[in-house]
Amino acid sequence: MRVWLYLGIAVGLAGIGAVLHGAMPSSRDDRIVQSANPEDGKVIGGVFVSDYFNLSYRLSDELTEGLAGPPPSQSGYYVLGTWTPKRDFAGTVLVVAQDMFFTPAPSDDVKYVVAEFRQVMSAVDGMTIDREPAPVSVGGHPGYRIDFSGVGLFRSTFAIEIRCHVVTFNLTSRDPESLASLAGSLDTLGSARKEEVPDPVPECLKDYASENIVSRVEPEGVGAKAVSIPVRMIVATDGSVKHVHVIRASAAQRRNIEEAVRQWKFKPYVKQGHPVEVETGVMFNLKPANT
Amino acid sequence: METIKLARARTLAGLAAMLLGTAAWSGTALAQVVSNPTTSAATANTNAANANADTNAATANAAGRGQNNNSSSASSRAPTDPGVRGGDPGAGGALPGLNDVERQYFDVAKDVFQEVDAAADGLGPTFNLDSCSGCHSQPTIGGTSPATNPQVAVATLMGAKNVVPSFITANGPIREARFVRNRDGSPDGGVHGLFVITGRSDAPGCNIAQPNFAAELARNNVVFRIPTPVFGLGLVENISDGALEASLAANAQQKRALGISGRFNRNGNDGTIARFGWKAQNKSLLLFSGEAYNVEMGITNELFQNERNSDPACQFKVTPNDSTPLVSENTASPSASFQNDIDLFAAFMRFSAPPTPASATATPVAQATGASNVTAGQTTGTATGASTASSATSTMVASATADVSSVLATAAGASTAQPSSSAASGASVTRGNQVFSNVGCQACHTKTFTTEKSPLTGQSNVTIQPFSDFAVHEMGTGLADGVSQGTANGNEFRTAPLWGVGQRIFFLHDGRTKDLHEAIQQHASRGSEANAVINNYNLLSRDDKQSLINYLRSL
Repeated sequence: MRVWLYLGIAVGLAGIGAVLHGAMPSSRDDRIVQSANPEDGKVIGGVFVSDYFNLSYRLSDELTEGLAGPPPSQSGYYVLGTWTPKRDFAGTVLVVAQDMFFTPAPSDDVKYVVAEFRQVMSAVDGMTIDREPAPVSVGGHPGYRIDFSGVGLFRSTFAIEIRCHVVTFNLTSRDPESLASLAGSLDTLGSARKEEVPDPVPECLKDYASENIVSRVEPEGVGAKAVSIPVRMIVATDGSVKHVHVIRASAAQRRNIEEAVRQWKFKPYVKQGHPVEVETGVMFNLKPANT
Repeated sequence: METIKLARARTLAGLAAMLLGTAAWSGTALAQVVSNPTTSAATANTNAANANADTNAATANAAGRGQNNNSSSASSRAPTDPGVRGGDPGAGGALPGLNDVERQYFDVAKDVFQEVDAAADGLGPTFNLDSCSGCHSQPTIGGTSPATNPQVAVATLMGAKNVVPSFITANGPIREARFVRNRDGSPDGGVHGLFVITGRSDAPGCNIAQPNFAAELARNNVVFRIPTPVFGLGLVENISDGALEASLAANAQQKRALGISGRFNRNGNDGTIARFGWKAQNKSLLLFSGEAYNVEMGITNELFQNERNSDPACQFKVTPNDSTPLVSENTASPSASFQNDIDLFAAFMRFSAPPTPASATATPVAQATGASNVTAGQTTGTATGASTASSATSTMVASATADVSSVLATAAGASTAQPSSSAASGASVTRGNQVFSNVGCQACHTKTFTTEKSPLTGQSNVTIQPFSDFAVHEMGTGLADGVSQGTANGNEFRTAPLWGVGQRIFFLHDGRTKDLHEAIQQHASRGSEANAVINNYNLLSRDDKQSLINYLRSL
C-alpha cells in the first residue's frame, strides 16, 4: 500500500513541476496563445509579459509602470505599455502595436512604416534624424531602428513585426546617455513562452476572409451608426472559427458580432499539404440605417 | 478495521496524487488553477468593454484624479502662465474679403447675437442665460466665458428667486450642467437648465422649480461644459471631410509613436463628419445654433420646435418661439430682414473671422529664469525654420511666431511673470512653436487646413490655422464626463481648437483651470491618448515648457 502512495506522490509532483517549469509541451500554452488578445499584456514582477505577442521585457530598475493607455482603437491600434521614471532618471518607454490587417498597403509593412515615420518626423520643425532607419534584431525579431532628436529630447523607435502587427518600442530621454541605457534594456526582450514549446501561433493572413468564406452570418442589431468595427478571428483547421476578438465596439455590438462570426465557415487553409490554422481580420463597416 | 481503513485511504490518496500528476502532465489541471491568463484576459476585456458605462465621471472638478505625477525632478518646477494676452482682441469682426452685402448681413447677425431675451421672446421656462453674447464674450463678442460670470446676476433678474448653484461663482466660468444618469440609473447626459423663469416679473403664474443641483452634486452626478468660441467657424464648416480624413492619416505614423489614434464623430443620418461642440456632436453651425437656442435659453425654433418644459403656465409666446418672418423686419440688411434668429446666429459664426494671433497684438511672455538656456544657436537655427514654415502655410492667419514685438506682463494672473525684452519674447515664442511640434501637441492640434470653394466672397480655398484635427480622442479618466454624444463616448473629446487660446481665461471642457500648464497636465490620466505627449512635456527643461506656454499665449 505504501508503495502506491509514494509512487502516486512522486508522479504527481513530477507532473506539476514539469508544467510549472515548462519542461514539457503543454496544451495550456496553446490555449493561452490562441485566446490571448494584444491588449492583454501585463507587468508581473517587473517583467512585461504579452502572451499574444510572445514577448517578455524586463523593465529597467529606474522605470515604473506609467499610466495605462487608451483602449484599442477603431483601426486596431494598441498601447501595450508605458514606463516612466521612478526618480531622477530622465527617460520613458512606450510600447504600441498597429494591426496590419486594418492598415492599407503599403503601410502594412514594417519597413515602409519606418520609412514613412522617418519622413513625417524629419518634417517636424526643429527635428533632427540622428540615425537613419537601419535593420536591427529585437528579441530575435528582425526590424528597424531610427533615432531622432529635438528641443532637448532624444528619441529612438524600434519597430518589429509579430503576428501581422507592427510593434514599436518608443524610447525618449533627456540625454543621449539615458537613451543608450533605454536602448540597452531591449536586450532583455525575450519570449513569454519556454522555447521547448512548439510554436502554436496560427498563420496570419490578411484578407483571407475575402475569398475563403464558405458561409457568413451577418451580425444583428448593430447597424444604426456609421462606425467601423475591426474584428480578428482564428480559423481552425476544419474551417470553423475558434476565436473571435472584437477589437473596439460597444458591449452589444461585441456580443452580436461574436455570435455571428462564430457561425462562419471558411475553406480550411492548407500549407505544404497540411491543414493550418489561420488568423485573419474583417472590418465591419456599419452604415447608417437609412442610407 | 482501522488498519484496513487507513490502508485504503493511503491507496486512494496515492491514486489521487497519480491522477493529479497525470493531469498536470497533460496540462489541464493545476497549472490553470495556479495561474490562468486566459481567465484574466477575459476579465480584462469585459472591463474594457464596460469602461464607458462604469466611468464615474460625475465629479467634474476631480482635477488630478489619476493624473501623471511622473515628471522628473530636474524639470519639475512649473512654468508660469503669463495669463490672458492683452491688447486688441483681434477677433469678433467679419471675414476679410466679404462684399458689402455680406458685411451688412454679418452686422445684423451680430446685433441679433447680442439681443437679450425675456419671457415674451420665449426665454425659458428653463435657461442658462438670456443672450448668446452673454456666454460668448471673451475677449469680445463671439468668444467664450468672460472674467465675471453673468449667470450670477441673471439668477435673480426681474424678481426671479433662483438659487445660484455652488458650481457657479462670480469669478468662475460660465457653465451648463449635465446629469450623467437618471434616477433609475439609465444614461442621461442632457443639459439641465440652471435657472427657471419662476418669479420673474415677465413670467406671472409660472411656478416650476429649479433642478435640485445640490442633491445631484451629492450623488456625484453633475458634469459641466463651458462655452466654445465661435470665431472663424464658417471656415471650419467649409473644410471637406476628405481633407479632415487626409489630415488624420497624414501624420498617423507620428501619432502611433505617441499612443494617439483618434476618430471622427460621424453624423448618424448621412455619415459625414460632425465637428462642432466639445465632443464634435454638432454637424453644422445651424444645428449648433438651434440646439443652443433651445437648450441654453429655452427658445424653441424651427430646428428644435418643442419646449423642453411644456408647462402651459410658463409659456409666454407661441411655439416655436422663433420662426422665419414673412414680413420684412426692416434691418440694415434686406436679406437678414427675412431670416429667423438661428439662421442669423449661424451667419454670425459663418461670416466671422478667425482669431488673430500675436503677430498683430501684444503678447505677455513670462521670462524663463534661465532663458539663456535657449541658446543662440538653437534660436537662430529654429527661427529661420519657423518663419519659413509659417509663410508657407498661412494666408488667413498670420504667423504666431514671426512678429512678436511687445511684451505685456500685466494680464490677469501674471503676477509672477517677469517682463522680458521683445527679442527674448520673440525667441521664446519661436522656440515654443518648435516645442509644440516636437513633443507631439500638433499631432492632434493640427495647425493647418485649406477650405473648399465657398459661396462667400473671397473665402474659397483659404488656408486656416485652427490647431485641431476635429477628431475625438480618448482623454482618460481625469477628463472623462461619462456623457456619450453621437459616436463619441464618455471618455472622448474633440481636440479643442487652439486659435485664440492666448486670450481665453478658462480651459478644458468644464473650465476647471485658468492655468495653461495645469491644462496641459490635465491631458494625462489613465486611459488618455495624450499620456505619451505629456510624458514628453514633463521631460522638457523648464525653459522649454515656458516657451511652449508663451507660444500658446501668442495664439
